[in-house]
Amino acid sequence: MKAEGLAEPHIFFAEVNERQGVFHRRAFLLGGFAGVGILALGGRLAHLQLVDTQRYEKLSASNQFNFKLVPPPRGIIVDRNGAVLASNRPNFRLMVARDKGVDPAATLKILSSFVPLDDQRQARLAKDISRAPKRAPVSVMEDMSWEQFSAINIRAPELPGVTADMGEVRVYPYGGAFAHVIGYVAKVNKTDIKPTGPNSDPIMLHPGFRIGKQGVEKAFDLELRGKPGAQKVEVDANGHEVSSDPAGDIPAVPGKLIELTLDVDVQNRAMEVFGDQSGAAVVMDCRNGDILCLFSGPSFDANRFVRGLTGAEYSALARYERKPLFNKALTATYPPGSTFKTMVALAALDSGIDPQQTHVCAGAWAWGGRVWHCDKHHGVQNMHSAISTSCDIFFYQTALAVGPDKIAEVARKFGLGEIFDIGIPGQKPGLVPDKAYKKRNFPKDPVWHPGETPSMGIGQGYTHLNPLQLCVQASRLANGRKALHPRLIRSIGGAAQPSGAAFGDLPFKPEHIDFIRAAMAEVTTTGTAAAFGDLGLGDLRMAGKTGTAQAYTYKGGVGAHGAVGEWKLRDHAWFIGFAPYDNPRYALSVLVEHGGWGAGAAAPRARELMRVALLKDPEMRARIEKPLPMPALPPAAQDDDGLPEPPTPIAPDPTQPRPAA
Amino acid sequence: MTVSALTRPGERDRLVVKIGEIDWIFCLTLCLIAGAGAVMLFSIAGSSWTPWALPHLMRFGLFFAIMIVLALIDLRVWFAMAYPVYGLGFLLLIAVDLVGHNALGAQRWLQVGPITIQPSEIMKVGLVMALARFYHGLSGKSAQLSWWLLVPAVMILAPVALVAKEPDLGTALLILMTGGIVVILAGLSWRLIAAGVLSVALLVPPVIMFGMHDYQRQRLTTFLDPESDPSGSGYHILQSKIALGSGGLLGKGYGLGSQSQLNFLPEKQTDFIFSTLAEEFGFVGCVSILALYAAVIFMALRTSYLSHSHFGRLAAAGVTATFALYVLINGSMVMGLAPVVGVPMPLLSYGGTVMLTVMVGFGLVMAVRVHRYSEVTSGKGSLL
Repeated sequence: MKAEGLAEPHIFFAEVNERQGVFHRRAFLLGGFAGVGILALGGRLAHLQLVDTQRYEKLSASNQFNFKLVPPPRGIIVDRNGAVLASNRPNFRLMVARDKGVDPAATLKILSSFVPLDDQRQARLAKDISRAPKRAPVSVMEDMSWEQFSAINIRAPELPGVTADMGEVRVYPYGGAFAHVIGYVAKVNKTDIKPTGPNSDPIMLHPGFRIGKQGVEKAFDLELRGKPGAQKVEVDANGHEVSSDPAGDIPAVPGKLIELTLDVDVQNRAMEVFGDQSGAAVVMDCRNGDILCLFSGPSFDANRFVRGLTGAEYSALARYERKPLFNKALTATYPPGSTFKTMVALAALDSGIDPQQTHVCAGAWAWGGRVWHCDKHHGVQNMHSAISTSCDIFFYQTALAVGPDKIAEVARKFGLGEIFDIGIPGQKPGLVPDKAYKKRNFPKDPVWHPGETPSMGIGQGYTHLNPLQLCVQASRLANGRKALHPRLIRSIGGAAQPSGAAFGDLPFKPEHIDFIRAAMAEVTTTGTAAAFGDLGLGDLRMAGKTGTAQAYTYKGGVGAHGAVGEWKLRDHAWFIGFAPYDNPRYALSVLVEHGGWGAGAAAPRARELMRVALLKDPEMRARIEKPLPMPALPPAAQDDDGLPEPPTPIAPDPTQPRPAA
Repeated sequence: MTVSALTRPGERDRLVVKIGEIDWIFCLTLCLIAGAGAVMLFSIAGSSWTPWALPHLMRFGLFFAIMIVLALIDLRVWFAMAYPVYGLGFLLLIAVDLVGHNALGAQRWLQVGPITIQPSEIMKVGLVMALARFYHGLSGKSAQLSWWLLVPAVMILAPVALVAKEPDLGTALLILMTGGIVVILAGLSWRLIAAGVLSVALLVPPVIMFGMHDYQRQRLTTFLDPESDPSGSGYHILQSKIALGSGGLLGKGYGLGSQSQLNFLPEKQTDFIFSTLAEEFGFVGCVSILALYAAVIFMALRTSYLSHSHFGRLAAAGVTATFALYVLINGSMVMGLAPVVGVPMPLLSYGGTVMLTVMVGFGLVMAVRVHRYSEVTSGKGSLL
């Protein structure tokens, strides 16, 4: 075929030349078109790459880089001396995110060989992860050990969706002592997130972010929170992190430091002396209202709330009859009992009743168609001795003589029934009743009956107050001249909060208040709390007033007077006081819920707290340690600076042979 | 060797002479483009020879050898093979329609043992050869305007219809345009050309409305307004433009193109490799590559001028037209001037099929050059 096909060429010259000419012209055109096309591409390139390049550079950078929110370190909370009450510690976290090619169940199965994850927890987490938005990490484990953390981190590249990183977790070094005041932080709930305002911040969705749920942590959440930072990371088209660019990071602004007026030693001592007893203690500097101790017992470990309580743990706390979750210093109100007699006495003095007027106590007193009891036969009592012995019969009659409205007026001047702005929420005002109250709240029986006054005279009846109020009352009695307000927050981020000292004088004659104080000194010398006035601190003495408040009516013999019988039916034990008597520094109120006698349950605890408060005060300490004036003291032993002699060294004498170890 | 020596009978058929007649500068230009492709494929694989750069180079080496072998084949054998190749391509297109492999909603491949065959690629060269052969035997007058023109019309439209049915609109259009260019180069009357252009302009809207698949229509609408759906269908075009634009004058540096390295750029190793190059080497790199392409086109087109046979002229010009269309369509696509149609940048993009087509085509072009003085029969009276 080849031979014959190729042997005879057929060439038509004229035709060929004509076709060739047409082809050449048109091929030239084709080349021209191609050239124009390529030039057009070049022009387009010039436009994109030379003219618009900045716009595309920005778009490229916004593709390439993402900013990842970094939660700010939460502000530290310290006591008046700088002791840390709440801070942050490193936390090794394990998180798993849903993503393309990630099987949550299988991933958790692998992880369970590194960290303890039982099947039930795995199943629950797998559900959480598949419900979470894509690439939103779900916390699988907090507080891993360094070994667990490093083991997982080494294998992380083979485990898509798994991240192990170091975050911060809140820590409360004193555990339960401050749980009610400081509160705690916890994971953000759906209900915490608001459409506007500070709680709409995207940081709220960060798995490592915590929000204040109680106490100072809640009230000053925004101050403690700080400003989130951002980590500049390079991401690929699927949103996976490729690398980070530390130079482009925006540092987080740590939260503000909050300084409280609390004293860690007094507060801790309160927790010790309360043990598993239920109650509250408030200690206050009666010169300026600084709260040294605001304790409610029994308490709970706030650190457990940060980690997240199990259902069983929570219900155990919630169901316990001594109510550990409740801040009894602020939220619970109790009848003040005999501590209220200080107010009745002052009201009597202020109404012009002679303090030397006497009443006879025979253990019972018939008036108004019923018999009013006293716990002892006190015999003839004047106001001074009636406060000291806490004679009910005297105060039944004094209250009747003064009337409820006057008593209420005086009590309110001392802060009873009032809510103080101490920065944290949860205060219950309680009640100081008067005739208007009766009229307002009892439409069926709007009249104050005379029979209701004797009860009020001994701090029972409608009267119920919270421990903070009683501490304010004790403080105002102690400093005598001026009203003061309690203060809990000393400073926020270095800015001092207004002092509680700057309030007006009390509208009472100084000699009347001095009279009450003298009677309170008698209480702890010869009276109901005679055993506890001596603090064992040199010449410092504590004045005070006990109170034993009925928690239940004794009708039908169900009540338990004193520290016997069923716990829930026992009396509440109160003590309010201040020290030193001659120059008051600290005032306190102690409530032991269902503690029985005020003198037996509350006064000894009050004494311990007062001792710590006084010992921590350098001026008081100087006074305590001041050597007793010894006539034979040679002047050479005195230091030049006039400070007291340092105590004799306790260290063993090195010259003595040591006992064999 | 003197000129007179070349005129000696049989002298031109010597292998050494033939090899000397190959345009080695043209071959070098092809190597430069393929080499640039390998360099980019190495970069986007994260500085790795696998999975793309090494196969790309090995394939190119093999196809380059094939091209040289094809260049040495007598043009009369090419002429004789024209109709059989076209016929084979046509049969395979029908076969693909019946038993072809379905990929991404389109039947484009035939699996024969380990080899996948894309008949539309055979048709690209086959059609050029068949048309060149037909026009070789047709007078200039008939080529201008005659009933004979129905033959090339059917030769073009039949495979175009089959490829469009696969559906592979991009390739169908490419075949149609290549065929059209050969017909025009052969001397079609300007009136007919004008009528054709006019009818196409009238036909386009109804075809878009009724004759297209949804995804094809969507590609077209997003081309017209890419920012309307930046994360959806407009994504390809937008990301490609970002890659190009952010490259600037000198580029982000080799291996530092964030658009391609971080996978923002889709199909970065195939259809959008030019964007990768633009991002990493900038305007300077792009213009250099475009200059190489222009050089290839003009050298190939010049070869068609040298040919003494009408078959050689048309075949060389047809292949050149195919190549130029590849470059222009892919360039327009990555620069946001044309809708996304799966047309790669020849020799630069990863992928064996198109590279084989192009290199076989250039084998034909080189054969035209080597055998430019060959006298080719009209083909009448010969079966092949």
